[in-house]
Amino acid sequence: MTPLNRRKPSLIVILASLAGAVFFLAYPNYVIRPMRPQGGQELRAALLVLRHQYAAELLCAAVALVALVFYWRSNARRGSRTAAMAGTVIVLLCAALSRINIYEVMFHPAGTPSFQPVRETKLDGGEQVLAVGSGVNSRAYPIRNISYHHVVNDVAGGVPIVVTY
Amino acid sequence: MNGLILTFHLAGINNQNFIMRDEQTGTYWQQISGRAISGPLAGQSLRLVPSDELTFALWKSEQPNGIVLKDVPGDAADYSPRDWEVKVQRYPVVLSFPEHGFKPRDVMLGIQAFGEARAFPYELVLREKLVQDRVGTEPVILLVGPDGQSVRAFRASEDFYRTPDGSMMDSGTGSRWNFKGCAVDGKAKGMCLERIEAIKDFWFDWRNYHPGTSVYSGSGRRKVHSADR
Repeated sequence: MTPLNRRKPSLIVILASLAGAVFFLAYPNYVIRPMRPQGGQELRAALLVLRHQYAAELLCAAVALVALVFYWRSNARRGSRTAAMAGTVIVLLCAALSRINIYEVMFHPAGTPSFQPVRETKLDGGEQVLAVGSGVNSRAYPIRNISYHHVVNDVAGGVPIVVTY
Repeated sequence: MNGLILTFHLAGINNQNFIMRDEQTGTYWQQISGRAISGPLAGQSLRLVPSDELTFALWKSEQPNGIVLKDVPGDAADYSPRDWEVKVQRYPVVLSFPEHGFKPRDVMLGIQAFGEARAFPYELVLREKLVQDRVGTEPVILLVGPDGQSVRAFRASEDFYRTPDGSMMDSGTGSRWNFKGCAVDGKAKGMCLERIEAIKDFWFDWRNYHPGTSVYSGSGRRKVHSADR
């Protein structure tokens, strides 16, 4: 039987990776969520985590996998192996989940915008629009559309713009 | 921005104003201010493009050669119904600024110009139809359009009064000015007033980003004066 002092470090590393992976995934989602006030400092911290979230998750996943290999080799007990494996799978799951932008799941991105001439549109005259430009460069973005997508990346009159609502 | 063309994505929320992330640098941007709040471009600001929020019928009459954004097939069923703004009034808020007796979701027309941030309660402007006021160092007017809903702001010192069709007359030259702010007859014909950006925003959001904002509380005597004409 392998001495405890060789097994234990790899288990601790797996647990640490698990804690890290859960934290990097959960903290920004906890701070930045609708219907909750955001304080200045916690928002800065959450955005900092978000910016490095994927790299941090990949690091946790890589470390957990290496530690799992060590643990597997040094520990024959099936229950312990399964537990270590489960922990590592959760780390990998966190890494995968960090790629999902919840906001774009709720509100699908507008993609490349397409337009139609005024006379072809069936939009009701009473609908509100957000308008930019004039003459042939004039564009109207119906509020009903942009208040769902929120963000439309466009080029108007040769100028790249982002239309937000 | 710095020679880069940025592509933005909806990425989060900050006190009920959303945050965008750009694909190219991974910077996070605040929607209302256009400011980069975290990431490589932090501290920079997007340039505000002049825009107008108005009814489609009114826009169409001014811009018959314009183009209209199409619905995204598959998402159109989830678009906001017309009474969206009424429903939103009931959504909870996380910030409250009870000054001036406003409710958090009272709609304001916010102007940030000439050294001052000033909020004009939308309902009050609609009632008054033509507001002559001052923002910072400059005299401004807010004019309600012929649709009774759209509002534009101009820099103008002349004394104006509104005609029932949504245009306005200036008492100095007797010219009639349309909703675009251009004189269509009289001595001033062909002249146009300088537009000022006014954004529609909830009180809590405007107040949060403009802590020192002043508030327009009605023209009082001046309005009686113009109505007497």
